[in-house]
Amino acid sequence: MSKHSFLLLTLTSTALGAVAINAHAQATPPADRWQAGVVLDGASTSRGLELGARDKGVGLGHSDLLVRGAFNEHFSGEAILGFHTEDKKLEKHIENAWVQTRSLPYGLQVRAGRFASQIGYLNELHPHTDDFTERPLLYRGFLGGHWYDDGLRVNWTAPTPFYLRLGVETFTGKKLVPEATADSKSHVTTLNMKMGNDISKSSSWQWGLSHVNNRREAEVEVHDPAAEGHSHSHAASFSGKHMWVSDLVWKWAPDGNNRNQQLRLNWEYAQVSGINRYADSSMRHRASSLGAVWKFNPAWEVGVRTDWLRVNKPENHEGDIEFGKGRLKENAIMVAYKPTHMQTLRLQLTQQRATGANDEGEAIFANPARRSIQLQYVIGFGAHGAHSY
Amino acid sequence: MRILTKALIAVLMVAASHAQAMTVFACEPEWAALTKTLVPEATVRTATTHLQDPHHIEARPSLIAQLRGADFAICTGAELEAGWLPMLQDRAGNAKVQNGRPGMFYAAQYVELIDPFKGTITPFSGDVHAQGNPHFHTDPRRVMLVAKALAGRLGQLFPDKKPQVDQNLVKFEDELSRRIVVWEKQAAPLKGRTVITQHASFGYVWAWLGMRPIADLEPRPGVPPTASHLEKVIALSKAEQPTGIVIAQHHDPKPGRWLAKSMDMERKLLILPATVSDEQPDSIIRWFDQLVAQLSSLAK
Repeated sequence: MSKHSFLLLTLTSTALGAVAINAHAQATPPADRWQAGVVLDGASTSRGLELGARDKGVGLGHSDLLVRGAFNEHFSGEAILGFHTEDKKLEKHIENAWVQTRSLPYGLQVRAGRFASQIGYLNELHPHTDDFTERPLLYRGFLGGHWYDDGLRVNWTAPTPFYLRLGVETFTGKKLVPEATADSKSHVTTLNMKMGNDISKSSSWQWGLSHVNNRREAEVEVHDPAAEGHSHSHAASFSGKHMWVSDLVWKWAPDGNNRNQQLRLNWEYAQVSGINRYADSSMRHRASSLGAVWKFNPAWEVGVRTDWLRVNKPENHEGDIEFGKGRLKENAIMVAYKPTHMQTLRLQLTQQRATGANDEGEAIFANPARRSIQLQYVIGFGAHGAHSY
Repeated sequence: MRILTKALIAVLMVAASHAQAMTVFACEPEWAALTKTLVPEATVRTATTHLQDPHHIEARPSLIAQLRGADFAICTGAELEAGWLPMLQDRAGNAKVQNGRPGMFYAAQYVELIDPFKGTITPFSGDVHAQGNPHFHTDPRRVMLVAKALAGRLGQLFPDKKPQVDQNLVKFEDELSRRIVVWEKQAAPLKGRTVITQHASFGYVWAWLGMRPIADLEPRPGVPPTASHLEKVIALSKAEQPTGIVIAQHHDPKPGRWLAKSMDMERKLLILPATVSDEQPDSIIRWFDQLVAQLSSLAK
């Protein structure tokens, strides 16, 4: 019996214990009804981005069909069927299918199934609520844009006057590193912390720190100089044994009334070490993202974001593993119109610049978009759930 | 190590103090004030203020922490908090305040709502509420119904507080019934008068005092006013001779001010707090006092 299943067993028995304790609770109103909703995200892109998720032309971005609700007073659940177009074809995938406890004592919560890891700021948020048409380079490079996987999570929310959440997750890791070396262990574990509070009536902050222990070593791709164009990867393009992510959010609104005006700042930084067995132990992948969004009117927002990514890309040259240093910089500005809370129309201009080549003189990032214009429209039908901070 | 021990003791003390006092999480200040009326010594934390639009609150870390430590939560319901409360409940990991548990009290379950949205809700409908207008705290008779239900729930959950809660309820009901008579008399000249409003924030006030809203600055509920819509409002209002323009303090004041200026009604523009601005046991009554006084000034 593996450590994995032992943990699962312990948690299940804890959950059942809680059921027994609360079994004689008094008759109360019914729990939440089940809700369903659809979100469509369509965009027209003048040019696909390096590490981007959107093709040139008109396409469907990260869209989903969602069902959520409570089974009873002890368990809630959610299922999301995600879909998007890729090379003009519709791709579907089960993105979420989880069950979570809602009656454990001491601020404990357990979730099992398929779900997005809560590392970083954006990863656990739905991509269609993002402020920009593409996720930061950090997410596209290290997490396949939006990392969800099969696993188990335990969270503890502390009884402190400020917000403090400690979490541990263990995943199979197959969505993060699909092609692993034969001797890889099949799991990825995260330890994560979130804390936050208000500074005044008008402003608030949240800081997160996460560590990912990735026991799956990515198979080094055989170098093919003829390959070109964007590779659409839903897995990490650059991975390693250890990843640290730090994310900071600060928001301000006059009197805390974010209906009319709001300023949002978001900074994230990630570092990956232990790239693989061939890499120098001092080699790192690093990425950072800094964004600001200003809502100046109940229906209008403008935003600017600057990102960079520095990697040591392993390539298999006829049996020799070589590392090429690549750098990518990306700047984006956007303006968004939100006539109702179910619709967003966004115009974004993105610029990319890449440097770095391998020993053969081939660029690590061969297709940076010097200039790309994206026009995006997001529309939601039915229930869409509450938004997180 | 010593620092760690101290930190642990601090955490445990915070946990212990939560266990002793009755800690209440209130989504809106009117329910915080009502809870204080019934249990003056309760520690009440309020998620929003009269300067904030209760539809558009973020599930901020501080609010998650407050809900985490609550023994009891009181909210409006009827989807008013649909954009943020479920996220707080999900993140807080507090079994006591999950939906369906007695520690989660929704005031809307105890009153009849006006203007339920009939028709199909689409992404273009705006912030419509299928169950009806959730701003019922602006009707003192409905506040009375909520007080009664809240007293019942608190007495059931905290039996040692029951005698005190019941006593305070009787006092509040007596006072409020007496004041309702006074307010209705004071507002009698307003009966049949017309107003231009923004959102359904004061919808229950118009119904209570017999006033008639003839136009709304919002083209659809929760959708910000647009220039073309304001032109329509002016055209519509010409024939009706509105007594005043009434908007809430948490609304963007610019459209209301522009309209008042264009219609030469600057002195008839009222920007009122949509709820109590402090959470004392008497603040609900003081808020109605002011509301009725200010509205009555329009009739002069």
